[in-house]
Amino acid sequence: MKKKVVPLLVATVLLATVAAGCGKNNDNTGGSGGDSNIGVAIYKFDDTFMTGVRNAIKDAATGKATVDIVDSQNSQPTQNDKVDLFISKKYDAIAINPVDRTAAGVIIDKAKKAKIPVVFFNREPLAEDMEKWDKVYYVGAKAEESGTMEGQLLVDYWKAHPEMDKNKDGVLQYIMLKGEPGHQDAELRTQYSVKAIEDAGIKVEKLAEDTAMWDRVKAQDKMATFLSAHGDKIEAVIANNDDMALGAIEALKAAGYFKDNKFLPVVGVDATAPALQALTDGTLLGTVLNDAKNQGAATLNLAAALAKGNTPNKGNSGYDITDGKFVWVPYKKITKDNMNDAK
Amino acid sequence: MNTSLKRVSEFLTNYAIYVVLVVLIIGISVSAPSFLSLSTLTNILHQNATKAIIALGAAFVLITGGVDLSAGRVVGLSAVISASMVQVSDYPRKFFPDLDQLPVVVPVLLAVFAGILVGLINGLIISKLHVPPFITTLGTMVIVLGVNSLYFDMPPNSSQPIGGLRNDFTKWGSGTIDIGPFSLPYLVIIAIIVAVICWVIFNKTRLGKNMYAIGGNVQAAHVSGINVGRNLLWIYSIAGALYGLAGVLEAAKSGGASTGYGNMYELDAIAACVVGGVSTTGGIGTVPGIMAGVMIFGIINYGLTFIGVGPYFQLIIKGAIIVVAVAFDIRKYLAKK
Amino acid sequence: MKASPFLLEIAGISKAFPGVLALDNVSLNVRAGTVHALMGENGAGKSTLMKCLFGIYSPDSGEIRMNGEKLQLSNSRSALLSGISMIHQELYPVPFRSVMENLWLGRFPLRGFWPLRFVNDKKMYEDTMRLFEELGMDIQPEMITGRMSVSKIQSLEIAKAVSYNAKVIVMDEPTSSLTANEVEHLFHIIDSLKQRGVAIIYISHKMEEILRISDEVTIMRDGKMIGTWEANSLTTGRIINLMVGRDLTSRYPERHNIPGDVLLQVEQFTSSLPKSFKNVSFELRQGEILGIGGLVGAQRTELVEALFGIRSLSSGRIRINGKLIRIRRPIEAIRYKMALLTEERRVTGIFPVLSVLENTVVANQKSYQKLYGLLDERSRITDTERSIQRLSVKTPSPKTQIRYLSGGNQQKVLMARWLLTNPDILLLDEPTRGIDVGAKFEIYSIIAELAEQGKSIIMISSEMPELLGMSDRIMVMCEGRLTGILDGRKATEEEIMNLAAQYSVRTGGSA
Repeated sequence: MKKKVVPLLVATVLLATVAAGCGKNNDNTGGSGGDSNIGVAIYKFDDTFMTGVRNAIKDAATGKATVDIVDSQNSQPTQNDKVDLFISKKYDAIAINPVDRTAAGVIIDKAKKAKIPVVFFNREPLAEDMEKWDKVYYVGAKAEESGTMEGQLLVDYWKAHPEMDKNKDGVLQYIMLKGEPGHQDAELRTQYSVKAIEDAGIKVEKLAEDTAMWDRVKAQDKMATFLSAHGDKIEAVIANNDDMALGAIEALKAAGYFKDNKFLPVVGVDATAPALQALTDGTLLGTVLNDAKNQGAATLNLAAALAKGNTPNKGNSGYDITDGKFVWVPYKKITKDNMNDAK
Repeated sequence: MNTSLKRVSEFLTNYAIYVVLVVLIIGISVSAPSFLSLSTLTNILHQNATKAIIALGAAFVLITGGVDLSAGRVVGLSAVISASMVQVSDYPRKFFPDLDQLPVVVPVLLAVFAGILVGLINGLIISKLHVPPFITTLGTMVIVLGVNSLYFDMPPNSSQPIGGLRNDFTKWGSGTIDIGPFSLPYLVIIAIIVAVICWVIFNKTRLGKNMYAIGGNVQAAHVSGINVGRNLLWIYSIAGALYGLAGVLEAAKSGGASTGYGNMYELDAIAACVVGGVSTTGGIGTVPGIMAGVMIFGIINYGLTFIGVGPYFQLIIKGAIIVVAVAFDIRKYLAKK
Repeated sequence: MKASPFLLEIAGISKAFPGVLALDNVSLNVRAGTVHALMGENGAGKSTLMKCLFGIYSPDSGEIRMNGEKLQLSNSRSALLSGISMIHQELYPVPFRSVMENLWLGRFPLRGFWPLRFVNDKKMYEDTMRLFEELGMDIQPEMITGRMSVSKIQSLEIAKAVSYNAKVIVMDEPTSSLTANEVEHLFHIIDSLKQRGVAIIYISHKMEEILRISDEVTIMRDGKMIGTWEANSLTTGRIINLMVGRDLTSRYPERHNIPGDVLLQVEQFTSSLPKSFKNVSFELRQGEILGIGGLVGAQRTELVEALFGIRSLSSGRIRINGKLIRIRRPIEAIRYKMALLTEERRVTGIFPVLSVLENTVVANQKSYQKLYGLLDERSRITDTERSIQRLSVKTPSPKTQIRYLSGGNQQKVLMARWLLTNPDILLLDEPTRGIDVGAKFEIYSIIAELAEQGKSIIMISSEMPELLGMSDRIMVMCEGRLTGILDGRKATEEEIMNLAAQYSVRTGGSA
C-alpha cells in the first residue's frame, strides 16, 4: 500500500504539470477574430531572437487571423510532424521557421500536395526549393548584412576617433569571438564584418579568433586569456552576438577598461536588453538589430494574405516583395544615439 | 639499470597526466614566453573557480557510484534565479519591475535552495523509486531546463538575457583581494573554502565515509546497517547545493544570466573528476585529485587559447586527454598479472 | 517462570516466492555457547532462512525469539542491534577503504556536536586495536582492505561480528577460502566465542569440519526441516543420506580411464611476478586426471592460468606431443585444444542474464557461422540440447537465463561450453566449489567419463577427499613451488598435507 503512494504522487504531479502546460499553450494561439487559421512552427522556443519574432507574429495577427504557434524543439523531424498536423487540421496557410534550411523542400512538397501556401521565415530555403511552387514565400534578413553592419560600426568609429589605432600603424588589430562553429550566422558574421572593414580601405590584423559558443561566460574567459596574451595590442573586439560581446566587456572591465578614459570598441549583434544597457553605460560601442518586429509582422501579413487566397503585394502586406517571393527585412545599426529604435 | 628503467616507467604511469601537463606548459611557454606570468595564474584560477565547485558536487555523486547529469542545468537555473532578483533599480527591463533592493543574501540563498531542491528530488527518485542515477538525472536535467525556460519566459522578461546586475552582487564574481602584485579573486577564495569543507566531509564525517562505502560496495553498506537511501538524499542535495552556488557565482562573474548558462558543464565536471582519479564505478576519489583534474583542464584551456590553437584542435586535444588520463589511471588499479 | 533453554528460537517460519515455497514451516532452536550446524544441499532453503533471520527477507508467517522475546527484524540494522551478526560467504567489504572503516561502517564513533560532528579516527583506531588484540588477530587497522588476503578479510568480518556484541553469529561457508592453518585459527576463535556464551550457526558443506566443531546439526531439504541431531550421533554417510534423501553408495564414481602417452610437458614454469610460482615442471598423459593440491596461496590458479595464457611467464617451456609451442593469450591456448573452467564461476564464467543456450555455445560461435557471418540457429539449438542431455543439466528450457539455475547446473553448462570446442586438455579450477553433494557426484562422473574418452584433465581442488577420490596422480604445491607428485590411489591425506605445508612449517609461519 505504502509503496504505491510514491508513483501515484509522481503521476499526479505529472498530470498537473501537463494540465498547466496545456493552459500555457493557449498563450500561443493569438489574434482571434480573423476567419482564417495559420499554423506557425518556430525552430526553438527558447531562442531569444525567435521569441521576439514569435511575439510580433502574435501581435500582428490581431483581427487578421487565428495563429497556432508550435515549438519544433530544434529538431527537423519534430517540425515535419507539426507540419503534418497543420495539414491535417486544414489550416489556410502555414509559416515555417525551418530547423534545417535544406529540409524546406520536403515541407514544400507536403504543402503543395495539400494546396496550403507556405511562408518561410528567418532561415532561407535553398534557391531550387523556392522554385518548386509559386505559393512559397520567404521573409528574412540577409545574414551577411549583420556582419557587414558590425564592421561598419567599427569603420565609423575608426574614422571619427584616430586614437583607436593605438600603435599608429594604420592597421586595425582585432579579436574575433565566434558563435558555434559551422553555424551559418557565425560563419557569415565573422566573414562579412571583416570584409566590411577591408572594403572601407582599412587594413586589419586578426590577433586571435576562437569560439565562445554564443555564451557569455565562455566569452569572458576567452577574452581574459586574449588580454593576457595580447594586452594593449588589441584595438577592437568583434563578437558574433551580444552575449559574447558582454562577456568580453566583463573581462575588459576586470582588466581596468571603461574607466579613466580607457576604452576599447566592442561590437555585437542582436540588440538584446542587456546590450542596450551596455550602450547606455558606454561600454558597448554598437550592436546590430535583427528586426524581430518587422520579420514577425511581414511573415504574418504574407500568410494572412495567402490564407485568403490573395497574391501578396505591397498593398495587402505592407512590405516590398522582391522577385515575387522574397521580403527582405533590413538589419539596423544600433548605437547609443538611436537605441530607442530597438526598445 | 633495468630497475631504474622500470622505476622511470612506473613513475610515468603513475604521474602521466602531470607529465603531460608539464610538457604542455613547457611547450606553451616556449611558443609564448609571456604565458609564464602572474596574470596567467590569476586568470586560470579565476576562470576555474566555479568549475571546481561544480566538479566537487559531481564528485560526491560519482564516488557513490552514481552520476549527475543535471549539474549543468541546475547551474543555469540558479544563475537565472539569482540574477533575476539582483538587477539595479533603474534597469530598463527588470525581471521583477516592482522588486525592491533585496539584500544580496536572499536571492543567493533562494538560488542555492533551488539547487538543493533538485538534488533532493534526484535523491528521492533514486532511493525511493530505484530509478538508476543516469536516467533520473537525465530526466531532471531536461525538467530543470523546462522549468528554467518557463521562468525565463515570464513577461516582461520574455526570454531576454538578464543584465544590469547590482555591484554588490557582481563583486563576488569579479572582486579581488590585492596582496602586493598578486590579486586573489574572491571567487578563488570561495572555491578554496568549498574545497576545504568538502575535504572535511569526505574524510572526517560519517556521511563522507558512508559515501565511499556505498560506492565501494553497496551491499556491504546495506548489511552494515547504513541507511543507503538517506545517505544518497544527503549526497545529491549537497551536490545540488554546490551546483546552485556555482550558478550564482557564474551570474556574478559574468554580470548576467540566461537559460543557456551551465549547458554541458556536467560533462566538463565529470571529465575533470575522472582525470583527477575519481572512479566512475564509485568508491575512489580525493579532493586534491579533483582539484588537480580541474586545473589540468583549466591550464590546457587557457594555454591553448593563449597561443591561438584553433577551437577544433582544442576539442581533439581535450578529448584525447580524457581518454589517455583514464587509461593510465586504470593501469594503477588493474591487478598486474 | 519457565525459562526457555534456548537462546534463539526460530519458530514455524514460512516464506513463499512467486512459484516456490522456499521455507515451509521451519523451526530452529539454538542454545547459547554452542555451535549449531545448518546443513542441506544448495536450494534447500538455508540461505533464505538466514536472510529471514538477518532481516533481509520478512517471513510470511512464524516468529523469531531471542531469550524468549519476540524480535521485529525489518532490516539488517535491527538484526545487528538485536545481537545477530552474519559472516556472509561471498560478501566482500568495501575494497578501497581501510580495515577500521570497514569494521565500524554504519556506526562510526563521533565527536563534536551537530553540525560539527566528525568521525573520531583516534578512537576508531584504538577500538580496532583492542578488538584485534582480544581476538588474537594480526591486522593493521589502517591497511586498505582490498589489498589483504581472503582469510584476513574473513577475520575482519568475524571481528566485526564480535564488535556488535553479537549473541548469535551466523557463519556461511567460513572456511571455503582458508588454508589449513587459518581454519585452525578460525576454530580457535570459535571456541573462545563459545566460552563467551555466543551461539554460532555454522553453514558448511564440509562434513569433516561439521563433525569436528558442531554440537548440534540441523538438516534441511527442499525448504523443509528434516530434523536436529546431536553431532556426535552422526556420521558423514548418515548426514549425506539425510541431506540428499536417498542413499549415495559412494561419493566418487568408478573410474575406468587408462592414462596413455605423454601429451603435455611443462618445463621450468616461472611467473614474471616475484611471489608467484617458480620452476614448476610436470607432465600430463592422455586420458589422465592430474589433481593439484595445496593451500590457498600455493599459486595453483596462477600456474594453470599461465598455462592458458592469461598470466605472463618470465621463463618456461610448453610441449604438446613433444613439440615446443608458445601460448601468450587464451585464444592460442584454445587453438591448441585447451579449455579452462575458472574458479570464480560467477565472476569469470557465466553470463548471468543470458540464456543457457547462449552460455553453452558462446565459446564455439565460430563453427556456427555460415555465409555472410550469420549464425546457424538450428545447430546452435541442437548442440545445446544435446549438451543438456549429455550432462543432464536441469533447466526448464534452453532459453532460461542461467542465473536461475543452481550452482551445480551452472557448472555443467560451463563444462558443456568447453566440451563443444572439443578440447584435448581440460583445466578445471575447483570444479565443485559451492556445489551441493548430489550435483558434485554428477560432475565427478562427467570428469571420469571424459578421461575415459581420452581427454586429459588437470583439476585443482582444495578438498582432500576429492583429490584422493578423483586423481590418477596428485601434484602438490606450496608457496609457488612444486613439492611433490603422489600416486592418487595410494596417497593419504597426511602425505598431501605434509607436502602442502612443507615451507610454511619450515619457516614456522603461515602464508
